[in-house]
Amino acid sequence: MSEEVYPLAVLIDELRDDDVTVRVNAMGRISTIALAMGEARTRNELIPFLEEAAQEDEDELLVVLADELAKFVPLVGGPEHAHALIDVLSSLAGCEEPTVRQAAVASLNDIAREMSADQVNEHYVPLLRRISTADWFSSRMSAAGIYASVVAKLGPNDDLLGLYKDLVTDDAPMVRRAAATALPNVIEALGKVQLTGTIQEMFESLVYDDQDSVRLLSVDVVVALSEALRENGKPSSDELVAQTLALLSDKSWRVRYMAADRLEQLAKALNSDEKLPRLVGQFVTLCKDGESEVRSAVAKHVVGFAQNLDPAVVLDEIVPAIEPLVTDPSEHVRESLAGQISYLSVLLGNEKTIKHLLPLFLQMLKDEHSEVRLQIISNLQVINEVIGIDLLSQSLLPAITELAKDKQWRVLLAIINYSPLLAEQLGVEFFNKELVPLVMQWLWDPVWAIRDAAAQNLVKLTDVFGVEWLETIILPKLVVHDPTANYLYRFTSLMVVKTLVPTVSSSALQDPVLPFLLSFSEDSVPNIRFNVAKALLQVAQALVAKNTPNAQSVISESILPVLEKHAEDVDVDVRFYVAEALTQINELVAGGQEMQA
Amino acid sequence: MDIDPDVQMEDAVANNASLQLQESQFADDYEGEMSELPPSSPTPTASTGEVDGWIETLKKCQPLTEREVRQLCNMAKDILQFEQNVQPVSAPVTICGDVHGQFHDLMELFRIGGPCPDTNYLFMGDYVDRGYYSVESVSFLVAMKVRYPRRITILRGNHESRQITQVYGFYDECLRKYGSPNVWKLFTDLFDYFPITALVDNKVFCLHGGLSPTIETIDNIRSLNRFQEVPHDGPMSDLLWSDPDERQNWGISPRGAGYTFGQDISEQFNHNNNLSLISRAHQLVMEGYAWSHEQQVVTIFSAPNYCYRCGNQAAIMEVDEELYNTFLQYDPCPRASEPSVSRKTPDYFL
Repeated sequence: MSEEVYPLAVLIDELRDDDVTVRVNAMGRISTIALAMGEARTRNELIPFLEEAAQEDEDELLVVLADELAKFVPLVGGPEHAHALIDVLSSLAGCEEPTVRQAAVASLNDIAREMSADQVNEHYVPLLRRISTADWFSSRMSAAGIYASVVAKLGPNDDLLGLYKDLVTDDAPMVRRAAATALPNVIEALGKVQLTGTIQEMFESLVYDDQDSVRLLSVDVVVALSEALRENGKPSSDELVAQTLALLSDKSWRVRYMAADRLEQLAKALNSDEKLPRLVGQFVTLCKDGESEVRSAVAKHVVGFAQNLDPAVVLDEIVPAIEPLVTDPSEHVRESLAGQISYLSVLLGNEKTIKHLLPLFLQMLKDEHSEVRLQIISNLQVINEVIGIDLLSQSLLPAITELAKDKQWRVLLAIINYSPLLAEQLGVEFFNKELVPLVMQWLWDPVWAIRDAAAQNLVKLTDVFGVEWLETIILPKLVVHDPTANYLYRFTSLMVVKTLVPTVSSSALQDPVLPFLLSFSEDSVPNIRFNVAKALLQVAQALVAKNTPNAQSVISESILPVLEKHAEDVDVDVRFYVAEALTQINELVAGGQEMQA
Repeated sequence: MDIDPDVQMEDAVANNASLQLQESQFADDYEGEMSELPPSSPTPTASTGEVDGWIETLKKCQPLTEREVRQLCNMAKDILQFEQNVQPVSAPVTICGDVHGQFHDLMELFRIGGPCPDTNYLFMGDYVDRGYYSVESVSFLVAMKVRYPRRITILRGNHESRQITQVYGFYDECLRKYGSPNVWKLFTDLFDYFPITALVDNKVFCLHGGLSPTIETIDNIRSLNRFQEVPHDGPMSDLLWSDPDERQNWGISPRGAGYTFGQDISEQFNHNNNLSLISRAHQLVMEGYAWSHEQQVVTIFSAPNYCYRCGNQAAIMEVDEELYNTFLQYDPCPRASEPSVSRKTPDYFL
């Protein structure tokens, strides 16, 4: 065997292996083989060989082949030879397996993009003609996916559009669905479209298709069409509005759902003074839809829809329409609305929000479904910016304190995360009076994640109010060691103070923090003892980091003796963390002494 | 009474030298009898840092490599073989029930109860099957056991068995994630080493299923040979399969293994062994925990929305130094990667 044919021989060998993973791996490397073989031999030997392989292997392998071929344009000698790849890919595009077809169509599109218009005309138009009228539906489905990139190269072409129309009106619903899915891309490729002739016929055929699975795809066609029309400076016609409304009131809920889910784009596309009001009426009807999925989709897009409208219309039409959704029987509807309703306040402005939306917020804050409450809480900041903290604190504070006792810990977590913001707005006096009891209460929550967040929260609040606040208001409440208290209480108070170690000043660190931590060093529970070790390491680090003048003596007199005593603790984990603390403190001290020297 | 006196675990801990001998003998017999694995190349023990790395990987719900699992299981065997059939545990400890491969909910459990090693844990079996992440869940728990053997105790459940895992998902999941049953083999071999019961401060008796008519005292359990596949019947099977029942005395279990036991049985057992409570898992309870037999027995179940459709809460039980119990209930952790159903499953589906 000559050296030149060697790469192909290896590939052939591997592609004939019994194990499909070996074959798939081999297929993944065909671009390397092509590189070794050179352009001419890739065209004349490798491609025909692959064509043969494509006839009869596993789908898994064919997907890889279709993907790989997209990279082949430079390997067969650049765009002028790219047509050599079309035959293999078109036979893959006729496969029954959808993943293979999709990969082949994607590669065909990639290749078309690299070709010149003449080449596309010469090679793709006959291809389209052939597979668009193929007997087997799978080829026709693939054909639909290729038109857009061909039209993009060749410009409007009545002949091609005629072929496409045949796909749109194909007998097989699968083909009609494929054609409907690809039509927005074709419209985009066409650029200048008018709602006349073939385009109009195709569009109407889709909107009035007897299969709802086809009609629901025409929603995206409406969006694409009206956007294209608007870009051309042609306002959307009454017909388009009529068809949009038809989709929004379709007898199948799946179509209505799809239309409701695209409300924002539809409103944007049909944005003109005469046409929007007709959509508003439909919006109101959809809010009363019998299917909760539809109502949920409407609720999800209420802001996207409303921002295209005049604020007066929002107030008079939209707000009354969504009001019943606040108490919708489906929690998914309420959840969707709760995520959105806060942003309506931005559209309505201060006064109207207070009058019309605030009652709805308060209602939703009491919703029995925790996800609804959570959505409102996480967007409180938006409302805050609109109506100001004074009113928010007056009307929402009671609700917040109520929620601070929520059974769902994630609701509580959202409130905790919101509290530094509240702190900033409320000021220290009001906060000390109204919220410090809550802040302290969270530290003892039964759920660990809340206790942890509450401890971290003290650090964040210190950023707002300053270290003095922490050391005068909060710390004295914490450093009370009650050895008779139960384990969880002792453990929690230790962990809270440990969290604060990097934050407090170095004088507070020496007293009261360090004595408090040391008071736990002989606790009967090992978990407490090894956390004391971890905390003592942090204290030593903090003392040095804060340039405490007597850091060395505090470490050697108060910290090290306690750690050394526990180096022989009965518990293995205590010994581990003590050893770790000792090593790091010794490095720290050695480093400090070097600095001094 | 039908008790297999092969290995006296009690003596084993008291006498270190004889222990080594006994254990290695046992391990040899055992390998010859059960293992069909390809001869494993000697796997070096991983360092603490490596185990910490595995734990970090697993926390992201990413499985370990087969080689790492092999190392992990070997290290776990070294620890678990020295644990007793009735493993002593000291309070405070947080006791948890079935997990069943619901990895995200297991992470939620640690968010509720606090991270290990800060909190001590006792898991009462059924880590695998049914959920989508049995591999990650059991790898995580075993890795924690290896890293913090004194802080976490993992008991064996009826699903920690070769037979059951072939039917309920763990086997298929291993095959899917590793392309071969090797990892399943490694873990199911390791399951034979898990202790079958635990005793918290000599007062709270913890196990997966329930009592057995062949076991009157806790000492009876100490004399069992647990290092085997869960048998079809007999005391070891009963401990992993039985359920408490409202009817008095022993009853035939509808599960086809184990028994049902009435309040009289629980009272007798607790009295004989000077226990305050039997804590067990094994049954779905809608609130996550349920008392039975006038607080002689508690059932704890830690897989919320079991099988992603039962709509139940989960719970864990914190036991403090005074053996005072606090239950913490929780719901499924919100997540994107698993099927979510917008419509509630109708009741008749359950």
